[in-house]
Amino acid sequence: MITAELLSEVKALIQEDRIVEGENDHLLGNNGLVKVYPQTEEEISAILKYANENGKKVFVEGNGTKRGFGGLSESADILLSLADYKGIVEHVVGDMTLTVKAGTNFKKLQDYLAEHKQKISLDPFHPEAATIGGIVSSNDSGPKRLGYGSSRDVVIGLRIVYPDGKVIRSGGRVVKNVAGYDMNKLFIGSMGTLGVFSEVTVKLRPLPKYESLILLFFPQGNMEEIKAFAQKLLDSTMEPVTLELLSPALSEGLTGQSCYTLAIGLEDVETSVQYQENFIKSIQPENTNMKILTLTDAQAFWNQFYSLHSLESESLITSASLKIGVVNMDVTQVMKESQLLGDSHHLEVQAHGGLGHGLCQVNLKGSKEDVVSAIQQMRETVAGLGGYVVIKHLPFALRQEVDTWGPKPAHFFLLEGIKSKVDPNKVLNPKRFVGGI
Amino acid sequence: MAVKGIKSKDRHILNLANIVGDARSIIYHKEDLIAYDCDGFTLHKHLPKAVVFPNNTDDVAALVKYCSDNQLPFLARGAGTGLSGGAIPLNGEVIISMVRMKKLLSVDFENRRAVVQPGFVNLKLTNSIADKGYYYAPDPSSQYCCTIGGNVAENAGGAHCLKYGVTTNHILGLEVVLPNGEIVEIGANGIPDAPGYDLLGLLTGSEGTLGIVTKITVRILKNPEAKKTVLAYFDKVEDGSQAVSDIISAGIVPAALEMMDKIAIEGVEAAAFPVGHPKDIEAFLLIEVDGIEAGLDEQINNIMEVCKKRNVREVRAAETEEERARWWANRKTGFGAMGAISPDYLVQDGVIPRSRLPEVLNNINNISQEYGLRIANIFHAGDGNLHPLVLFDARIPGQREAALEAGSACLQACADVGGTITGEHGVGVEKREEMRFVFTDEEIIAQTDIREVFNPFNLLNAGKLFPTPGRCVEIKRELKEKETAIS
Repeated sequence: MITAELLSEVKALIQEDRIVEGENDHLLGNNGLVKVYPQTEEEISAILKYANENGKKVFVEGNGTKRGFGGLSESADILLSLADYKGIVEHVVGDMTLTVKAGTNFKKLQDYLAEHKQKISLDPFHPEAATIGGIVSSNDSGPKRLGYGSSRDVVIGLRIVYPDGKVIRSGGRVVKNVAGYDMNKLFIGSMGTLGVFSEVTVKLRPLPKYESLILLFFPQGNMEEIKAFAQKLLDSTMEPVTLELLSPALSEGLTGQSCYTLAIGLEDVETSVQYQENFIKSIQPENTNMKILTLTDAQAFWNQFYSLHSLESESLITSASLKIGVVNMDVTQVMKESQLLGDSHHLEVQAHGGLGHGLCQVNLKGSKEDVVSAIQQMRETVAGLGGYVVIKHLPFALRQEVDTWGPKPAHFFLLEGIKSKVDPNKVLNPKRFVGGI
Repeated sequence: MAVKGIKSKDRHILNLANIVGDARSIIYHKEDLIAYDCDGFTLHKHLPKAVVFPNNTDDVAALVKYCSDNQLPFLARGAGTGLSGGAIPLNGEVIISMVRMKKLLSVDFENRRAVVQPGFVNLKLTNSIADKGYYYAPDPSSQYCCTIGGNVAENAGGAHCLKYGVTTNHILGLEVVLPNGEIVEIGANGIPDAPGYDLLGLLTGSEGTLGIVTKITVRILKNPEAKKTVLAYFDKVEDGSQAVSDIISAGIVPAALEMMDKIAIEGVEAAAFPVGHPKDIEAFLLIEVDGIEAGLDEQINNIMEVCKKRNVREVRAAETEEERARWWANRKTGFGAMGAISPDYLVQDGVIPRSRLPEVLNNINNISQEYGLRIANIFHAGDGNLHPLVLFDARIPGQREAALEAGSACLQACADVGGTITGEHGVGVEKREEMRFVFTDEEIIAQTDIREVFNPFNLLNAGKLFPTPGRCVEIKRELKEKETAIS
């Protein structure tokens, strides 16, 4: 179908000034022939219903920060952006619960909540641009996951527009709920392949009364020493909210020191944080240096951290971002391997991983061939550790060469079965997810 | 080959006995089956066809495959402590009891995980790792006897889930036998966020309707450095419940925040673990904070101030571990304690937004008067998770029915303020109809659609969780017929 015809049909569903013609040469793919910006749930529903009944495909995005995350078709018929579907639906301050429209900007949300001394206890990447819907849909999380968990621990309810246009609620607005299946979990991290989030309800946490960040530098880079220290700390009764190991290049960009560095975050009342700082000083290994940042300095460090990996796409240099899951202490292996790959493949590598939760992020920059080869090699190494590599960011052309999700799990038929129950016509984000779902 | 000692002419019994291999691994005589006709929810009963006791995953898979191939309804059962009837064999199921699969398979302190078989008892896990300073966080009141497999099925909670979350927040991996007998492993090695839909999250709390869990990888936590526990007595329920809201809004995250009202206190004081609470108070709060010791005093002081602003009669911290343990024993045996003041009782399990506590308690009081039945309230106030206990005497004609109706009315009162019908006990048989208080027919169908993916013939634990006889199912059938007619 030519775009003009599609355009005129879409105009019947949503105001004309909310429709633009799609850009078709985006390096990251995930385009649409037309792009629509619905402002109401009814509009979202009408668009999906139209697509479902007319054999159209729909891609969904928030603000486009995950455009390089999966997807094997360059363009859908419709790119549905939730960037204009935003705002707080309900914030019950006393209950510490919040319901927001999916396109709401994460940073603005946190700034608003901070006025009430509350926060959503998620620390995703690119908070200044990302939307709550996109974060939950891609299950993005950062180092503070150690202390506060991820979307599956925070989201208590969802309103979802199904591919046929009906609106389904899962969960609710209370913090504890086992009525029926825990359907929230199904949609978190489903990459928009099952439905379009309309509203997200989360439980909130109080802002910490005090916080500090201990940077522990290991100039000699001895991984066994790092591991031994991390184990000692984890085996103590201290309660760090992050225990993130930074690669030398990453640490250099953030701290000016080019060596393996542990970023240990502490958040509690001041007396408790100071007590923990003292404990950590008391077990500080030899041949290490320590720097402590407090309050706004600690926050500034993290703000820089979350936005470090550039989303800019350039045509000559290929940039990729990997999410790697391994058993906690194997994070050190992943860090070692990324250093080796950087050297052998002439790549710029920035890596970090949580020794308390086992998730790493490895950002690569270099020539196309080197990036692809490094990813494949990393996959082999991580498979040997029993873990997985998911590619969070890669140009469209290369996603044809290296699978975003890696091998299908043995229980793939269950995933496929769920998809075909919920979206039998494969309307939503086709080929965006595991095994071509 | 026949198993020695089996005296039955039923070929299914003979074949099932063959799978488990010996006469001590199967129960099939009516008089022996009576013990399995219900679980912790005793108002519905039905005899199973047989109870089998597998020793390992392969046994479970073979049993399931046999049932599936022969269209025999079946279900899994742990310790049978469930409070919503999830393990009741409504359709004369073959019960696959997991109690012999009760090993702690491994503990990995370095990576903070443990692998258990489903029949392993909740509290035993904590006891097994306590010497190294670790514990397993979900702590349902029945933790001394309930199994972790059952906890996964029900997504069990407990007093301390206010800070640490419920079972689902602590499950890292599952080995599952699907209803066709196939064995799948989800969340291999306990590594979080494995690619694909979050089946761990979906299976946890699916009340045994999607598969049978045969191995569980759980997260273990380091014991907090210190705990402090406070008891606060109130002359007005309203003050107590306002204090709950105030504590939460003050930015304090207690490990537990429990409340009991006057009737509940009368019960626990008459039962096995009395504390000596004053007889004339209307409510008490049991509040625990934990974490770094250096930070706890500040929190305790804040809590005490909040209580004082809300006219607390007396507020004090436990002085010894023994005292703290006594307070908790008094609370954790609270349901059973109702037996000391009433011949029968019915436990309910609604959840409300915390700030609506005073209003809902008032409504529950009205329900109590309307039905002429006393209702005690024991609850996880910090989560807004209420447990109204409807006291009745089944010997008096009509009281049992009235109690069920009053319980349902309590759940309606929770749903009316934007709450839900179960926070930790599950829907089971008990609250199937009440699902309609919170979900539309379309939303229920969205859930049964997912069940069909795993359990297409609905042989596994049928009749649980969803309204039945299903108005929904009928609607769905009508819709399907319409669709067929159109196409």
